[in-house]
This record gives sequence, C-alpha cells and structure tokens, in this order.
Amino acid sequence: MKVVVTGVGVTLPRAASAQSLLNAAARGAVPVDPQDRIGKKGLRYKDRATQLAYCAADVTLRDAGLLDDSGLTVPDASIGVVASSNFGNVDTVTGALDTIAAETTMGTSPMDLPNASSNVIATSVAIRFGLRGPNMMVCNGATSGLDAVFWAANMVAAGRVSRVLVLGVEPDNEAVRKLLGGRRTVDGAIGLVVEHADAAAERNAGALATVGRYIRTGGVRECVDRLSGSDGAEPALLQLPETNAAAPAELLAGVPQYDLGKTWGVTSGALGVMQCVATVGWFADRGEGPVYLLAGGDDDDATAGLVLRRAEVAG
Amino acid sequence: MSWYITGSGAVASIGHGVDELFTNLCLGQTGLAPLRGFDPENYRARSAYEVDNRPEAGKDVPRRATGLLAEAIAEAASSAGLEDLTDVPILVGTGLRELRSLELWWREGVAFTADELHFGTALRERFGAEVTYTFSNACSASLYALAMGTDLLALDAADTVIVAGVDVLTESMHGLLERVHAAPPDRVRPFDRNRTGVLMGDGAAAVVLRRDPSGQDRGLLRAVSVNCDAFHVTAPHPAGIATAMRDAHDLAGVKPEDVDLVLLHGTGTLLNDEAEATAMADVYGKHIGTPLMAAIKSMTGHTSGASGLMNLVVGMESLKFGVVPPIVGLTDPVDEAADFRFALGEAATADVSVAQINAFGFGGINAVAIVEAVR
Repeated sequence: MKVVVTGVGVTLPRAASAQSLLNAAARGAVPVDPQDRIGKKGLRYKDRATQLAYCAADVTLRDAGLLDDSGLTVPDASIGVVASSNFGNVDTVTGALDTIAAETTMGTSPMDLPNASSNVIATSVAIRFGLRGPNMMVCNGATSGLDAVFWAANMVAAGRVSRVLVLGVEPDNEAVRKLLGGRRTVDGAIGLVVEHADAAAERNAGALATVGRYIRTGGVRECVDRLSGSDGAEPALLQLPETNAAAPAELLAGVPQYDLGKTWGVTSGALGVMQCVATVGWFADRGEGPVYLLAGGDDDDATAGLVLRRAEVAG
Repeated sequence: MSWYITGSGAVASIGHGVDELFTNLCLGQTGLAPLRGFDPENYRARSAYEVDNRPEAGKDVPRRATGLLAEAIAEAASSAGLEDLTDVPILVGTGLRELRSLELWWREGVAFTADELHFGTALRERFGAEVTYTFSNACSASLYALAMGTDLLALDAADTVIVAGVDVLTESMHGLLERVHAAPPDRVRPFDRNRTGVLMGDGAAAVVLRRDPSGQDRGLLRAVSVNCDAFHVTAPHPAGIATAMRDAHDLAGVKPEDVDLVLLHGTGTLLNDEAEATAMADVYGKHIGTPLMAAIKSMTGHTSGASGLMNLVVGMESLKFGVVPPIVGLTDPVDEAADFRFALGEAATADVSVAQINAFGFGGINAVAIVEAVR
C-alpha cells in the first residue's frame, strides 16, 4: 500500500513555495494577513491559528487539484483532515479566563465557545471547505507535526479515507510568547495532502513524494538508527529537530542537514509538516532521496522520524 | 476483524476504578456538587461533577488531568497484565489537554511549561512510555483515539495498544458553555423534556487492546467508525450522526436488531439529545424499541474527551454482568425518544451481548463503536 503526497501549501511570512522554505530568510518579514490571502469572508470570530489554517488549506487543496473555483473536485467524504498545533487556542483560553475574572461569564462572547476546544482548527477547516472524512487534531508536543502526517497516512492505509489534508499551524500572540519565555512562533500554517496512490492515479494527480517508514521512540540517536535499520538506504538529507539539546555528535556524518527551526522561529506543532513540504521542495529541485525528517530532541518526551522519498524512485 | 479488550480502567466523580464506578452508576449515584475548584461568584452555573481529590478544598492545583489519566492507564495496564509500557503505543483522546494547568499558570503563576500541554511528557516520566499521542478531538476524542488504535493493529504496526481518554473542567469551557445556555443548567438530564443543558465532569478511562486473543479477554471490539459532518462548529447534525452509526454497523457486520444496548452520548443539551434521538430513530427504524439505552452523563456529568471510552468501559461491564445503569433525572422523555427503551428509575437487568457506544464532538466529529461480550 502506497501513500503519496499530492499537494503542498505554504502560508508563511516571506515564503510562498515549498522550495522557498529551505532558503527564505524569515527575519523582519511582515506577518501574514489572512484577508489578503483568502478575503474577509468567514474570518470573524476565528482565532489567528484557524485563520492561518484556512489560508494554508485553500492553497494546499488547490495545489493538489482537489479544489477549484467551482468547489471540490472529489466527493466530500473522501477528504479527511488532520491538523497539528500545540498553541492554537492558548489565546482564547487565557482571554476567556481574564474576561470571566473581570466581568463574570456574562462578559464573554458565545462566539468564543468553539474556540475553547483545541480541535477548532481541524473542524473549522472541514466546515469551510466541506470536508466530511475523518477529522482529527493532534496536539502532541515537539513531534506533533510528523505524528500528524503519520496518522493521516495511517487513515489512508487502513482504508478509512482516500486522502487527507494535513495542516501544521502555530500562531504568534502575547499569551503564546509568554508561555515560550518571550520567543515568537513561526506565526504561519503549512499544508500537504497525503493520498492513496491508486486514488491519486485515478484522478491523474502527480505524486510529489512517497511517505515511508515512521518511528516514534525515546531519543534522536535511537530514532535514526531504527530508521536506517529498517530502511537500508543511507539518507541523502536530514531534517533536524527543533531542540535546545545538542544533536548527537556524528549523526549520519557527511549527510547534509537542514534546521528549519533556526530560520522560522518556534515551529513546534508545525515543524513536521514544514519538513515534509520543504522536502517536497528539495525533490522538485532535483534532490535525490531518501530524506529523514526528525522532530523532538533529547530534551523532549520523544523523537519522531519519518522517511520521504522521491515519488518516481519509490518502491 | 475484531480486537480483544484485555484490560480497562476508569475514574470519575462517583468512583475510582472500574468496579467502584460501575457499582455506583448502577446504584444511580450522581457526582453533582457545588464547584470545587473555581470561584463560584463568576458563574451562574455553580455545580459540576468533579473528582474530589484536591489537597485543599476550594483551591485548585495543576496537572489533575494528568493524574486521572495516569490512574486509568495504570489500572487498565495492570488488569491486562502489562508491565513494560516503553514501546506500547498509548493513544490519549482529550478535549482540553492540560489547559486547566495553563489557566492556573496564566492567572496564578503556577509552574507550567509548554511541553506539559500534551500528556506525553508526563507519561514518559511516569511509565517510561515513548510512543504516546495526544489527540485533542473534543467530546468524541477517546473514541477517535480508539479508532486510530484499531488501525495500528489492523496494519500490524503494533500487537498491543492502550487507548485512553481524559478531561477535567477548565474555567474557559465551563464558563463559555454556561454562557450559551439561556438559563444556567443545574444538572444533566439526558433526553428529558425539561432538561436545562450540560454541566461538565472530571474523568478518565483506558483500555488495553490486543490484536490476538489472550485467554483473558474482557470484550471484543468489533469496529469504530469516525466521520465529520462539516456542518457547524458546535451544533450536531442528525444526518452526520446517522452516517457514523450506519458505518459502525457495516464495519462490525451487525444490524440494528442485533444491538442489545446503546450507551448514548446524551449530554442533556437541547441540541444534542434531539439530534441524537432523531439519528437513532432513523437508523434503528422499527427496531428502535429493541435495545436498552443508557446515558451515564446523568451521573458523571459530561466528561468531554473521556466520555466515549468511559461509556465503552461501562458498557463492557453491563455486557458482563447483565446490569444496565439507570438514567437519573429522566422522567419525561422528549418526543423524538418516545419509543426508546430507557433504563429508568433503577438499574435494569438484561441479557445483553452487543453494545453500541456513541460519542459526538464540537465541529460535527462523530464516532461510534460496537463491542461484543466475551462469554
């Protein structure tokens, strides 16, 4: 059973394509204004994370050929959604808390109710675009983005749905900065579509990459060893976790490495999805696979690893 | 394909451990009490179904969700004879993660870090578990997690998984929920004409699932369906719910007339109970009077992300003992549920073999499980 990537989308300051993820400089960039990307309609009452996710969903579904100006091009129940975010509704929760303390619950807005639930990103995207497949929100710390890609691929492999829109999003706001000790998040969203290879072929959608082995385990070294052990081939590129702990010395010495967190600020739950999309960009620039993606360092609860391959050399 | 449930654990306002919880449910005991951890002055709704485990009355402490989760997982693992959880995938469904601790950090400055929002950090410390997932999927979270767990077994990615669900009250959710009620709810009365809405409850539940029979199986999980009706951010949609039920029946290879017991989502909100009853009547048709129906939120409150799996754990006890907990506070059923065979007044005794469990969440995410007794 083959699961492939058939579309990607980037909603970041100063990067609009998969390729630009690896070479853009994010510093000093103007924050994304969702209105400029998808218009004003439907943005009211939505938190920053959901607005960013709307933008990424729109561009990703279009890139995958699943959405055009007349609507979805495939049955609505054939598209699932898996979104990853750790800080998505932190602003709603802390804001509601302040309002309740100052004005009692009668001061709060009923429109905030859905935003108090952490899955509002995934379900709001489903409602806006009419996606009726399985819908899941992964809030799993440092590994969350890669975990989301894995669970999306697993839903497809298990036959629950033909294709899944995967989103990674982290908003920047005062409450999140306070939680992160003053650091800023990427303040953007990123998307990809994973799809059953047969379903993609049926609608003549080109594959951008093939989703390979995934492992979640205790640390970086063990994760790489187990990926290499089961995979056989030496990776052509390594995408590093965002971590305060040093990467283990001589980790796959000689293999080129990218560290997206260094460029983009705190990527957190968006990281794994960003790594996948950056890898698709790297493949498009004729890079040779396989690529190992790693999220979660030795100071996190675990490390997740995922292998992506160029679609045409996949077996 | 069926999966073997070899262990279970649960905790709620009315009991620690599956035995105590089930006994108290069957006795019709409710956990309703004045708010224990919030300043009641800020709320119109001043009751909930909380676990009474704070060290100091009236003073809230962080990481209570983590504590209840660990309790349920430890019970489930121990009853299944599982000792080393290092490589056992643990899938946690939750509506609100550790957001209550975030609230206490924000307002009172208690120590709390970003990597404590999800449960993996604590589960690594407590159990050495390395393969952990926190799925934040509102009120169907733990049944969604259960579905993902069966997929791992089906794809041979694991031979054993632990699935759990947990939630405790947050001020933001308790407050915003009461905000949308015209009058503040005073208790949860599922499917009653005079119900006033929903109140939250603390709770956690866990099960151990295996791919192969173990010789000490407590139940057979036949199937879990999941979908999204993509209709509204908070309102349920009868058609999407009915689709989830039919999908579960198809996956499990059962017909409505085969189902002996339904553990309803039954939140006591005006919208849920009407939508759920409408969907049930639609799917069951002329067999709507056949299965017994239970709605334990009348005693546990709405345990949010934990509620689906808690219903499954309770349902397995009902299958085992032939006893079904009553629906407390239900005296005058709504028209949509006029033909339902509710367990009323006191626990019902019945020979039941197949149970359906419903869980529906904000945003129209629906999940339905089918379990069968092991005899």
